[in-house]
Parts: sequence; structure tokens; C-alpha cells
Amino acid sequence: MEDDVCIQNLEKDFDGFKAVNNLSLRVKHGEIYGLLGPNGAGKTTAIRILCGLLRASSGEAYVLGKKIPNKSVESSIGYMPQELALYRNLTLHENLAFYGEVFGLNKREIETREKALLKLADLEDSKNLLIDELSGGMQHRASLACTLLHQPQLLFLDEPTIGVDPDLRASFWRYFEELRDSGITMLITTHYMDEARHCDRIGFMRGGRLIAEGSPRELLELTHTDSLEDAFLAYARTEGSH
Amino acid sequence: MKFSRAFAVTKRVLRDLKNDRRQLALIFIAPLLVISIFGVAFTGSVKDVRVVVVNGDTAAGNSSLSDKIISNFDTSVLNVAYANSESDAVGQVQNGSASAVIVFPAHFTQSVAAKAAGQTSVPSANTTITLLADKSNPNVSDPIIATVNAAVVQTIQGLGRQAPVSVDASNAIYGANAQFIDFFAPGIICIAVWQLTTLLTLISFVGERTTGTLFRLLASPLSESELVAGYAMAFGIIGVAQSTVLLTAAVILFHVTIVGDVLLAFAVVALLAIVSEGLGILLSSFARREAQAIQFLPIVVLPAFLLSGVFWPIQAIPEWLRPVSYVLPTTYAVEAVRSVILRGWGLDKIYPDVLALLIFAGVFLALATVLLRRRE
Repeated sequence: MEDDVCIQNLEKDFDGFKAVNNLSLRVKHGEIYGLLGPNGAGKTTAIRILCGLLRASSGEAYVLGKKIPNKSVESSIGYMPQELALYRNLTLHENLAFYGEVFGLNKREIETREKALLKLADLEDSKNLLIDELSGGMQHRASLACTLLHQPQLLFLDEPTIGVDPDLRASFWRYFEELRDSGITMLITTHYMDEARHCDRIGFMRGGRLIAEGSPRELLELTHTDSLEDAFLAYARTEGSH
Repeated sequence: MKFSRAFAVTKRVLRDLKNDRRQLALIFIAPLLVISIFGVAFTGSVKDVRVVVVNGDTAAGNSSLSDKIISNFDTSVLNVAYANSESDAVGQVQNGSASAVIVFPAHFTQSVAAKAAGQTSVPSANTTITLLADKSNPNVSDPIIATVNAAVVQTIQGLGRQAPVSVDASNAIYGANAQFIDFFAPGIICIAVWQLTTLLTLISFVGERTTGTLFRLLASPLSESELVAGYAMAFGIIGVAQSTVLLTAAVILFHVTIVGDVLLAFAVVALLAIVSEGLGILLSSFARREAQAIQFLPIVVLPAFLLSGVFWPIQAIPEWLRPVSYVLPTTYAVEAVRSVILRGWGLDKIYPDVLALLIFAGVFLALATVLLRRRE
């Protein structure tokens, strides 16, 4: 099956600083691909290029078979930025309704999907609360609900679990796995190495480059380590010594 | 209290300033800008106001008293043109090309001479100069009246004898009973809408950037032009609501006179709000935080406040500074709204101002869209 994301020799230069350096990777349809690395590794920049928010300095990227930037793929992707990306002076329901309209959903579709998502995110009783009145964890769930409302085929989730407590992180990952099982492809960035074990494949990023790629098991075996954090450090040391 | 600790705070604040050039500029350049604009704008006097003289005086050459009075007009204030009939002259004021009509009655010189000689047997002798001004702008009409009166006094003094000449400025072409508040209210409505809309859009858009909602929107099917248009419609509606509240308050509290079509005035204010919204989005590209957005306040507000003819007519602004007035959208909005409210003008007369606002709106909205489309 065709890859949902295909990046070839992608580079992004900010005034001489290479945020993304010769990055090539593929995300297969229906898999969770985790882009892992410390802050400043270039994960967010790569995702923003894929979402059409930044222009690549060189290289090519294809999303759902179309060379980006391409406005026509935007109705099929869901992007959850690092920031909450919610209107704090609107209620949760008003946020969902707004994003639904932006994605061209009709009132009935919004109502049906809102109901299902609020149940899933355990936010049914909070739909008429302002975003400012929700707890941090609820705001994160609300942000994810807004990302999923238009039922995208491909999700770009930029640090979706940052600042989220361990319980909620676990439930997020359970949900991501459910989404994957229903055929949705996900490219997720995180710097929490331990939670990357939920991914089907992982790419380690450092200094804008992809330094290793494989399934969590493969990466652990190849580095003879017990944790993905140690595996990352092993690759980082090898990379540094080159 | 330990001085070194307090001084550490002082150093921190100063370093903070040093690293934020925008704030540094605000501290030093904004006050200079304020004092310069205030100084220049408010020390000027009204200049080069076009008035139309209708001279019915039949006396010729050196004996003509009307010519003597006209020659004593302060030509730095009045730019004198002539018309053959009063209706033609009034028409020029009505279409906005002149600010007043000065009528010397028929046989003016002879009538003055007859009255001065005590020949009261000539009852029809009219020695009154009629001044019909556009009083919708007292800052312009008052200097015209003062200049004509001064010229009359100077001429009579030059004659060295009594001359029963009077100036009747009691009738007006526009703004017959206009007070300063009448002149001032349309300007304030425009400035309030300009200032609030620009700042609201600026802050909203910086908020869209900092909270990540803009990223989410730009990664959605919503196009940049749809986003800008959505904001434009919202602020157009807000502009109309603001002007409704302000104008109602002006009528109820200050008895401001409304001669023209209020709906047309609201439409102009809505157009100004759309121009302001475009500017707000443009400026938001240059602010990373809300606090930085607020720093644009003096740049947005002050020139418009002082140079758009809100308090002080454009004619009183030094000529070299007038180009600044003409690149301010508020100049056109203030003139259009004032003309509608006080003079009762329709779209047929205010269309140049509306056209200017449409051009500003088009340029600002297009630039805002282009800047949003631009990807790093």
C-alpha cells in the first residue's frame, strides 16, 4: 500500500541554522510513526513543513500521495500543534463547532461527531464550559477532540502528551492505538522516550537529522539496550563520534 | 534592604529593555513623535481657504470700497475666487470646492457713502456684506469670519472717516447652528472605531499566533483570504455597532445635529473598520507577543488623532505635513462621515472619500492575505 507520508532529502534552513538536515522517511498507511528526539531536534519543523505551515529549503515531501504544499490534502489531515490551539473565550462546544465549520461539516455532522468525541474524551459534562474553565488535562483532551472532529485519514500530532499527567498519557496512547486499528495513520512527535514503545516504528532525530529508524524492538535489539532512552543515547554517541 | 539585590533588579529591567528594541524605540521615539506632531499640528493656523466673492458693487477703480476691502483680506488665510451670481457661488460651497461665499450688495460703495453722509432718504441702501459659510467646521468658518471683519475694520480705518459697513454672518450654507461638538463628534466616532478595531484585530491575531489556533487554521481547508474576510465581516459589524452607540450618545447627551443619512454614515464607519482590521492583521506580523502589539498603540492612534482633521482642520496643518494626513484612512472617513452628518451629503458627493477608503481596504486586506500566505 502507498505510503501516507514520504519525505525525501528534506532540508530547512533558518538563517544559516539547519533545523532539518537531509531528512528522508516514510510513514506507511495505518501505522503510528514516532519521531523522537530532544528539544530542538527538528521534529516540529518537519511536521510544520508536512502541514504546509513552513516551506522546505530543499527536498521533497508527499502527503497522501500529493506533493506538498497542497491545499487539497488539508481536509484529510488533522494537525494538533504543541500549543493547545483552542479559543479560550469560547466554550468547548463552540470550539468544536467552529473547527467543524472550517472543515466544511454540516450542523448534523458536527452534532453527531461532537457527541461521540466528548464521550470518548470524557468531556460530556464540560461541553458548555469555557476552555479557560477546564483543567489542564481536560484542555489537552479538548484539543485532541478538535483535531479529530473532521475524521482525518492522517494525523500529525506534535508533542500531544507534553504537560499531560501519566494517567492521561496512558489513555491518550490507548486511544491512538484504537485510531490506528481503525485505519488512521499517525505521525507523532515526542521527547518522552518511554511512551514511544506504543509506536509501530520510530525515527530518532538529533540536530535535524534522522540518526536511526526501526520498530522499538529492532532499535532495542540493535543497541543491546533495555530502554528507548538508552537506545537513543547509544545512537547519539555513535552519531557524535562520526 | 540590600542595595545590591535591588540594583540586580534594576540591571535586569535595563537588560530586558536593551534586548527589546521595540520597547526601547517606544520609550524614546514615541514621546518625540507625540511632542512633534502635537507641536506642529496645534501651532498652525488655518491657511489657504477658498472663498467665493460675489461682488454686486458697481463702483469702479480706486473708488470701489468693496475692492479695497477685498484687497485687505489676509491672503494667507483666504484664497479668493469670484462668481457672477450668488447661486453659482453657493453651489461651489455645496459641492465642497469652497468654504464660504462673500456677497457685496449692489451699489455697495454708493450706499456706504450715502449712509455716511447722513442721507437716510435712501432706504434701500444696503451696506451689509453677507457672509454665507459652511459652518459645519467652526475651525474653518470662524477664521473666515474673523478675516473678513478684520479687512473691513482695516479698510474703514484707512478711509479716515466713518463708514457704516456691517458683516452679516448669521446665515450658513451648512451647519447653521453647529457647535464644536457637532464638528467633533463624527471625528471622534471614526477615531474610536479606527483605534479599537486596529488594536482588537492586532491583539486577536497575535493571540491566534501565540495560542496555535492560526497553525491549526492554516493547516485546514480555510484559505488565508477566507480568514481575512471573516475578520473583516466581524469587525465591519462591530464598527457599525460602535458607531451606533457613539452617535446615539452624541445625539442624546450632546444634542449633536444629524442632517444626512445615518445609514450612509454607518456604512462609511463599517468600511473604516474593515480598513483598520486589515492594518491590524498586517501589524500582527511584526509582534510576537500581545505586549508587543500594545506598543503599536501610539503609532496607530496619534497621527490619526492629530492629523485627520478630527480637532483641527487639514487646512491648519502645515503644508509639508499634509501628505501624512492624506495617507491616513481616517482623514477620508472623518471628512465623509462629517459631510453626511452635518452637511447632509449623499454618496454622489462623498464618493471620492469612499473610493479612497475602498482602496485602503483593498490594499490592506490584500497585503494581510499575502503576509499570511507567506511561509518562512
